Amino acid sequence: MSIGDWFNDRTGYRAGLRRLLDEPIPGDVNWWFTLGSVLLFLLAIQFVTGATLTMYYVPTPASAYDSVRYINTQLTLGHVVRALHYFGASFIVIFAVLHLLRVLFFGAYKSPREVTWGTGILLLLLVLAFGLTGYLLPWDQRAYWATVVTINIAKSTPVVGPYIAGIMRGGPAIGALTLSRWYATHVILLPVGVLVFVVAHLYLMRRHGIAGHFRTRVLPSSPFYPVHAVKDTIVIAAVFALLFSLATFGKAPLEAMANPADATYVPRPEWYFLGLFQMLKYFPGKLEPVGAIGIPTLVIALLFLLPFLDRRPERDPRARPRVSAVVTLIVVGVSTLTWLGFRDTPKEKDPALWSPRAIAGQDLARDERCTRCHTPGGAGPDLARGRIARDDQWIQSHVADPDMIAPGLRPAPPTGLKLMEARAVVAYVQKIREGAPPPRISPENRVASHVFATRCITCHVLDGDGGKEGPDLTHEGKKQNAAWLTRWITDPSAVDPDADMPSFGGKITDGELSALAAFLAARK
Amino acid sequence: MNHSDVDLTPLTPAEISRRKWLRAVIGGIVGTISSIVAVVVGGTILAPAFAKQRESWVPAGPLRDLEDGVPMPVTLRITRQDGYAEAVDQQVVFLVKSDAGVRAMSSTCTHLGCRVSYDATTKLLRCPCHGGVFTPDGRVVSGPPPRPLTELSTRVEDARVFVQL
Repeated sequence: MSIGDWFNDRTGYRAGLRRLLDEPIPGDVNWWFTLGSVLLFLLAIQFVTGATLTMYYVPTPASAYDSVRYINTQLTLGHVVRALHYFGASFIVIFAVLHLLRVLFFGAYKSPREVTWGTGILLLLLVLAFGLTGYLLPWDQRAYWATVVTINIAKSTPVVGPYIAGIMRGGPAIGALTLSRWYATHVILLPVGVLVFVVAHLYLMRRHGIAGHFRTRVLPSSPFYPVHAVKDTIVIAAVFALLFSLATFGKAPLEAMANPADATYVPRPEWYFLGLFQMLKYFPGKLEPVGAIGIPTLVIALLFLLPFLDRRPERDPRARPRVSAVVTLIVVGVSTLTWLGFRDTPKEKDPALWSPRAIAGQDLARDERCTRCHTPGGAGPDLARGRIARDDQWIQSHVADPDMIAPGLRPAPPTGLKLMEARAVVAYVQKIREGAPPPRISPENRVASHVFATRCITCHVLDGDGGKEGPDLTHEGKKQNAAWLTRWITDPSAVDPDADMPSFGGKITDGELSALAAFLAARK
Repeated sequence: MNHSDVDLTPLTPAEISRRKWLRAVIGGIVGTISSIVAVVVGGTILAPAFAKQRESWVPAGPLRDLEDGVPMPVTLRITRQDGYAEAVDQQVVFLVKSDAGVRAMSSTCTHLGCRVSYDATTKLLRCPCHGGVFTPDGRVVSGPPPRPLTELSTRVEDARVFVQL
């Protein structure tokens, strides 16, 4: 008796396997019927990559961002695993919707498959809940602000809204308890839920058999394995090739760390919620719960009730025009809203781009006042390694007056930095934390950045950052050349007697002046 | 043992009533255990939702920094116990000085909680999310916000502004 025979005698696995694989499949089942298998495959990918990510991810506000950055930048192949998980999530949403549309088109939701259909809708909702909870975990700007909006949408539910919001936050504000409960939901509750409903969905699929094509041609059935399984495998291979290429050549985004005080950040949800986000723009004031809660609830309720509303046995979409029309309307509506949402999405800043502040901060961080403590192995963390976990305000106060933040802990430098210098160091530390490598720029531009970030920025905006008293200098090169700018900066009143700007002749060196003029003239 | 081994002879009335009782015992025990677990687990999960945030007066800077009628954003740092950690929440409030005194407004948009900012050229407060627009004193001009910006209590002591959060 071979080991296989012995094992079969004790477990009966061969009969079970045969039962599983020999499922008779109607002869007219075509390539559209591979979508369910693709989804199973994608869920398996999410499970494997997700489990790997939990080995490195830490769900606390102090460490979450840094642990994700570690996965992205330092862990061997970490960025591929994270990108597989990130793009895999989008793939699941796409294939779940295709799967749903296929069932709608072939009328496969009808009696006796009402419950199979119901478990499918539940699975779609679970998938969306996965997307929502997973979005917060990196604790970057997009994560934080998307969650603020999500929780506020829940809060707008009539009567119970504030309690739902409280349960989602785990306290009065978004913080450590929010992150840990969303994490627990994402890695334990939702996976168990998906497992239960996938098993139920598959069991019911086997119980009622595949509905097949709505044409009533009688073709001989064939066993699932290998006649239909080969189609599944080919489609899965194609999907995997696409996902793997995206994960290798694309990058899962990670923005700056979450900053609740940032007024410049424009939140955007993941693309599959973009349609809902866009719709909220059209529901002003008191009507907002209608758009945020009412319409989505109505669509979901319609989906659940569909097999009971459409009870006639016709499965051909042409024979049930009302259902086909409503489905088409919803698909067109969601697509249009999503497209409008994409169109309204502001361009993201290139994370590799360093502002003059950050460049000046890099120079200032080399100052002896900083490096006496902030060196590798020194009393303070090394600034160039991005190990600073404090928020901007704290860093700013610390740099302006080191003794104030850490009184008596260590000999503090005799003087702090000026406010603009302090803000430059903050910008530098932030940039390093984002994992952006310092750019190579010419010495002249470095000088110009330093002057701009410590002087001009008080009144002038460049790339959206700076004071509002003076004109925006982002595209100054379009208006003036370097020679004019040199004259203007040296003595504005000599160019225009009514000028408000103070003169900088004598306050900055000639080298700084020419570097600054050339820098601004190059801003086209 | 296979299912076919179960004795299928008709039950006596005594046996029927005994099995009924056994089912009730099982149901009772399972129900009790489930309710205890549900109360304990549910309590821990739901409790934070009903916790109230303590109110406190937070210093928001000197009075002389404010300009008449111009909302000035001030970042307030509030220390809060956040589960196992002590969190420092940063909240941005707008301070506006007028003849009537100093008013403070939350910078949180009343629509979906994004952060509004002051646009000095149009003299309006704008929300980046869904295009809500407010006047410098917090009234809604256009867009989806359902209410004016939330007003916060202020007091001035020794020429320093305090805001109640």
